[in-house]
Amino acid sequence: MSLDQAAIAANRFGLGARPGELKAIAGDPRGWLKAQLTPETSLPATMADLPKTTVAAGEFPKWLIGLGIVGKQGGDLAKLYQNGGKDMTGAAVAPAMGASGGPPLSIEQSYIKYFGPDYAAGVEARFTTATTSERPFFERLSRFWSNHFTISAAKPEIISFAPIFERDVVRPHVCGRFEDMLLASCRHPGMLMYLDNYTSIGPDSPLAHHPEYLPAFLRERMKGLNENLAREIMELHTLGVRSGYTQTDVTTLAKIITGWSIYGPNQAPASGEMFHYIDFAHQPGPQTLLGKTYPADGEQQGRAALKDLAHHPATARHLATKLARHFIADDPPQAAVDRIAAAYSASDGDLTATANAIVDSPEAWTAPPAKLKTPDDYLVSIVRALDGPPVKGIQLVALLDRMGQRPFWPPGPDGWADIQDGWIGADAVWKRLELASTLAQGYAAANINPATIAEAALGPELSPATAASIHAAESPAQGLALFLVSPDFQRR
Amino acid sequence: MLDRRQWLMGAGAAAGLAGLPTIAFASAETDRRLVVIMLRGAMDGLSAAPPYGDPDYQSARTGLAIPAPGQAGGVLALGSDFGLNPALPKLHARHAAGELIVFQAIASPYRDRSHFDGQNLLENGSTQPYGLTDGWLNRALTGLPGPATAGRKELGIALAPAMPLMLRGPSPVTSWSPSVLPGPNADFVTRVERLYSQTDPKLLEALAGAAQANQAATGMGGAAGGDAFVTLMTAAAKFLSAPDGPCVAMVESTGWDTHAGQTGPYNVLSRNLAELDRGIEALAVGMGPMWSKTAVLAMTEFGRTVAMNGTAGSDHGTASAAFLLGGAVAGGRVIADWPGLRAANLYAGRDLKPTADLRQVMKAALRDHMAVDPGHIDTVVFPQSADAKPFDGLFRQT
Repeated sequence: MSLDQAAIAANRFGLGARPGELKAIAGDPRGWLKAQLTPETSLPATMADLPKTTVAAGEFPKWLIGLGIVGKQGGDLAKLYQNGGKDMTGAAVAPAMGASGGPPLSIEQSYIKYFGPDYAAGVEARFTTATTSERPFFERLSRFWSNHFTISAAKPEIISFAPIFERDVVRPHVCGRFEDMLLASCRHPGMLMYLDNYTSIGPDSPLAHHPEYLPAFLRERMKGLNENLAREIMELHTLGVRSGYTQTDVTTLAKIITGWSIYGPNQAPASGEMFHYIDFAHQPGPQTLLGKTYPADGEQQGRAALKDLAHHPATARHLATKLARHFIADDPPQAAVDRIAAAYSASDGDLTATANAIVDSPEAWTAPPAKLKTPDDYLVSIVRALDGPPVKGIQLVALLDRMGQRPFWPPGPDGWADIQDGWIGADAVWKRLELASTLAQGYAAANINPATIAEAALGPELSPATAASIHAAESPAQGLALFLVSPDFQRR
Repeated sequence: MLDRRQWLMGAGAAAGLAGLPTIAFASAETDRRLVVIMLRGAMDGLSAAPPYGDPDYQSARTGLAIPAPGQAGGVLALGSDFGLNPALPKLHARHAAGELIVFQAIASPYRDRSHFDGQNLLENGSTQPYGLTDGWLNRALTGLPGPATAGRKELGIALAPAMPLMLRGPSPVTSWSPSVLPGPNADFVTRVERLYSQTDPKLLEALAGAAQANQAATGMGGAAGGDAFVTLMTAAAKFLSAPDGPCVAMVESTGWDTHAGQTGPYNVLSRNLAELDRGIEALAVGMGPMWSKTAVLAMTEFGRTVAMNGTAGSDHGTASAAFLLGGAVAGGRVIADWPGLRAANLYAGRDLKPTADLRQVMKAALRDHMAVDPGHIDTVVFPQSADAKPFDGLFRQT
């Protein structure tokens, strides 16, 4: 029995202990973690209920059609994707989307009205999955990889994809192979649109020479290369920045993945696969990337290049450093990084073997609890510790937003910060105090004992100072709030 | 017509330069205010401040070039060579009032094309991404003259939930953003303070800063909604104009990474510029009489490709534009050692070539506006920056 190790397993590797969980896993905390490293047999119900990819792909065009600004022809749909609707956001009113008989809505009001419910449902689905999960280590890994392959609703046309990207791309491969997750990401319409690749065409492709194949309005917008996705694949998803690749490599990879595009929402085949490789938009000829030549082979050229990037030693180091930073310390111990990288390389990028290497790192069990939870993980752990006061819908969105982490809305493709300096600003810490005292006041009616809650959540990790502070509180609600904002509970 | 190596300045300002000293004012003012706006994502400087007088501008930027002054949606002219994007009418008026300097072809020392490395370097103030772990603006605050810091608990404020790198460091700083939840009661906060003081100095420091900021912001409320940047700039004015308020503020603006959809009358770049324009105006108005002691610097991590990319946008580039304005700025001019837009003159064959260093502006603002000791600037704030000589004469003498 080790309650110490159980607390580390539940908090550092998991999403916080639910009442009774520490005692249940204390017999074999490491075994409990490793047993979670199996592929999902079925999706959590809330995630399974989210829209299919093909349906999500149709939402943005449907909204624009509803505005009455565009017609329903296929060409117009493509135009919508091109513009992301941005050409139209200056329009004063959206008469077709207003309540019948009511005043017309502004474009922004219409956007919120149309996308808000699905967005909030997606946020809630992910949150509920985390607060109720029996496999919190699997969830942490899912969240880690989702952040690694960030798409952000900060780009308006992405909003319907953001809640389903984790389900479509990440979860199937959390205990699979990195190369498969990378490929799934690069083929997903959310990523192809977020980082612009779906309209990038080879400068010497047949399409570049025959713009008349395109409707007139697309000619200006599909003229040549866009290197955004190629750069972030190398900088963020695989090799890591400053790992030796050049601007020429970026441009070359951009050429290699020209033609990696998507079907229009009404054109997708019955399989529901939205990825569409368009050979006549692909840059012809062999390409030399990082010193290796990839023969002209259509879509296979890109698949081969991505596979090599996934297995590159720099990728192993980059991923191992990020994983060790996520689970162990902001400044990760080199021995742990080396061990995780070695496990990744030795297993040809098997993510189960890689995750096992984190659990097997002694540093993870001895480092002081210095990692500050992100706002999202913080709120999840509160709900788990209290065994479920419901936080739902728009209230959930607003709480996370105020703490600096609007769901599915990271500022850029590098995702959310994974070091405490990204979250420990005066204002962010203050917002956690507001959250804790508000939630605790609402929860105190349940006649709780905050000392019991603290003991169940942290076990022996609860510090004497925090225990004393809870004990001296003027009311159960204040005691609970003090526990929730204590360093012991905010860190792991 | 523009020539390479031609310095462009309004005639009046150029004349005023002659007699200026090149070192800090002997008797420093202590009530100066500096606002740094970080435009994250790489602002397209050639659209923000179009060099419309360059004969190659229209052809080099086919698809992206802003129409000539006088045409529909045309450039707002600043003399015969440069102008402002039509989404910046209030900045244009500030230029006419002699309060705005536009810098063109300017960049940080960073020469690669990663946003995150580029921002990190610009914020940490060294010549390498991750070269220092705290920010130049915070380190500058340790070199303020004594009278400037007297009576102030916080010397800087970030209008952001988390502390941006530029303001992290040894000097006391805080952060603030609008709130929607009821604040916790004072007794609770006192107890939390006591708990943090026993076990967690970092959380304690953050909490102390928050308590201070909230006191100053009383009555500001949580103005939520669309124009987030304007809300932040309005709040910045309130903090900075308080007699014992911070001397510097950092405000962030995001969404400048326009790889696509940069064309059309309501494209995202125009919207960003319009919000920047309104936000700066809100600050100017909010500062009241203090505006005459205020300087605002808006800058970005790098620029964008000269040519339009394949998707009606632009990719990561090198040099961009920057804005310096305020009542304390000797403005009404454009400063550019213009490299030209011909293919042979481009950096790496694709980007506007940098001919000025953003540190020249930042160093001038610290030395001549904030009266930070020049030795401190060269050693602590911007180490290895001897090659970046501060511009002279950017600020009014009082």
